[in-house]
Amino acid sequence: MIVTRRIGIRIALIVLVTVILQVSFFSYLWILGATPNIVPVVVVSLGLLGGGVVGAVCGFATGFLLDSLLLQTLGVSSLVLLSIGYLAGRYREGVEITSWLIPPLLAGGFTLLGAAGFAAVQLMLGVDAAVSVVFLREIVVQGLLAVLLAMAIYPLLRRILAPALIDYAPSRRLLVPGLRRSGRRRRRGGRSRSAAKDGHGSGPVRRRRRLPARRRPVAGGAP
Amino acid sequence: MYRKQVRRRRAVLVALIVVSLVLLSSHFSEAESGPLHTIQRGVSAALSPIGEGAERVLKPARDLVNWFDETFDARGENEQLRKEVADLRAEVAEARDAVGDNAEFEKLLKLDRGAALGGYDPVTARVIGRSPTVWFSTVTVDQGSSSGIERNDPVINADGLVGRIGDVTAGTAKVELITDPDNAVSAEVLPTADPEDAVARALSSENPTGIVAPVAGDPDDLLLDFLDEQEPIEENQILITAGWSNGTVSSAYPPGIPVGRVVETEAGEQEEFQRIHVSPFADLRDIEHVQVLTGGPDRPGVPG
Repeated sequence: MIVTRRIGIRIALIVLVTVILQVSFFSYLWILGATPNIVPVVVVSLGLLGGGVVGAVCGFATGFLLDSLLLQTLGVSSLVLLSIGYLAGRYREGVEITSWLIPPLLAGGFTLLGAAGFAAVQLMLGVDAAVSVVFLREIVVQGLLAVLLAMAIYPLLRRILAPALIDYAPSRRLLVPGLRRSGRRRRRGGRSRSAAKDGHGSGPVRRRRRLPARRRPVAGGAP
Repeated sequence: MYRKQVRRRRAVLVALIVVSLVLLSSHFSEAESGPLHTIQRGVSAALSPIGEGAERVLKPARDLVNWFDETFDARGENEQLRKEVADLRAEVAEARDAVGDNAEFEKLLKLDRGAALGGYDPVTARVIGRSPTVWFSTVTVDQGSSSGIERNDPVINADGLVGRIGDVTAGTAKVELITDPDNAVSAEVLPTADPEDAVARALSSENPTGIVAPVAGDPDDLLLDFLDEQEPIEENQILITAGWSNGTVSSAYPPGIPVGRVVETEAGEQEEFQRIHVSPFADLRDIEHVQVLTGGPDRPGVPG
């Protein structure tokens, strides 16, 4: 990911909206005995899209905001979330994501890991009360819910951050040569707006006519 | 070039981990008026209007999702409720005889909430946020120190005890629910339904008392531990706050606020004690409005 100022602002907004949504919406829900948690899902998604450093920084910032907003002990959420953000980013840097199922499964796995890490930090800091095994159920259900949430959240974030992604290229762009050089916006079907208006087209359409028949692209919809 | 990137990445990671640990340890060790707490309150105060707006806007969607979950649960509960209705019909007949005695018992047991909470100035507040983890059972409300709310003020709702104020900013306050691992309540178990037993116990002030503590990870369970094995505790007995004080140290909660109902008793880890599982009266997952009891009599040892 190439983090420009504009992309930085988008990421900051994503983090802020995530925390607000979690605190004022998702924390009130109760599904199968657990509260859905989108915070680790978003941090893992940002790590998978941006790499280890982006994941760690976003995890830290999200945790800091969450702890501040809820007046909780500062540092606990930051520590856990930066760890899972970094691990998700490192995974992405080392392994190619070849299936659409991998990000949701990773989000579920890292959410489980994060919840276990959070519990471990809390227990290390000292919990005066007795601990129920029910929290294990909550962790598992949260992990399963994270898989479902990531199916929507990961593609959404990928779309929002598309301009910064090196490997992001919609399939129709790959199929139509000369599109990027033409500098014109095209409607679905491959015709430029001016081409649609004129009825015969200009620019890229003419260029395709000069191509030999065997190299003419299949997709494109030229008249 | 690659090595430089790796070094930079590791440096960022180590720096963030160190900052997190410093935040963690400093937050624990510094006073409530320390710089970290001040920054935290500032961030919270800045973001709380956005959170409050989002909470209002998203309420219909939230209610819709919860409706599906509740409907799913209701199917399972239907059969159990039918059975309970049959049992309750029989009990209603017996209870009618006891209605006349009720007012007298309430006075004897100091359950008159008007009298118990008479010295307090209740402030009604709306819940605008809640923690997503079971390790922090806290909610944020939209009233703060500008409304007279202070740390450790008791918080109630129509059903009973909700918790106490854990931290406060000018416009918001954090409520530590009674299911939060940092919370504990001194409570007494009211007598059984047997009228003669109730009067005798109330007059001799020998209601079994103890500390009700949460069970971390289970928001539906409270635990009253170290109660004498000989004490005859039964299901459905009611717990109220005891308002314990020894003159130097006091409970933050005034006496007489309903806490919950006994759901199960079991032998304690030591044979001479029993453990009582209590279900809180207040539905802590679904609270929208609460009352913060501000002012009130000084309770020794409770920092305001």
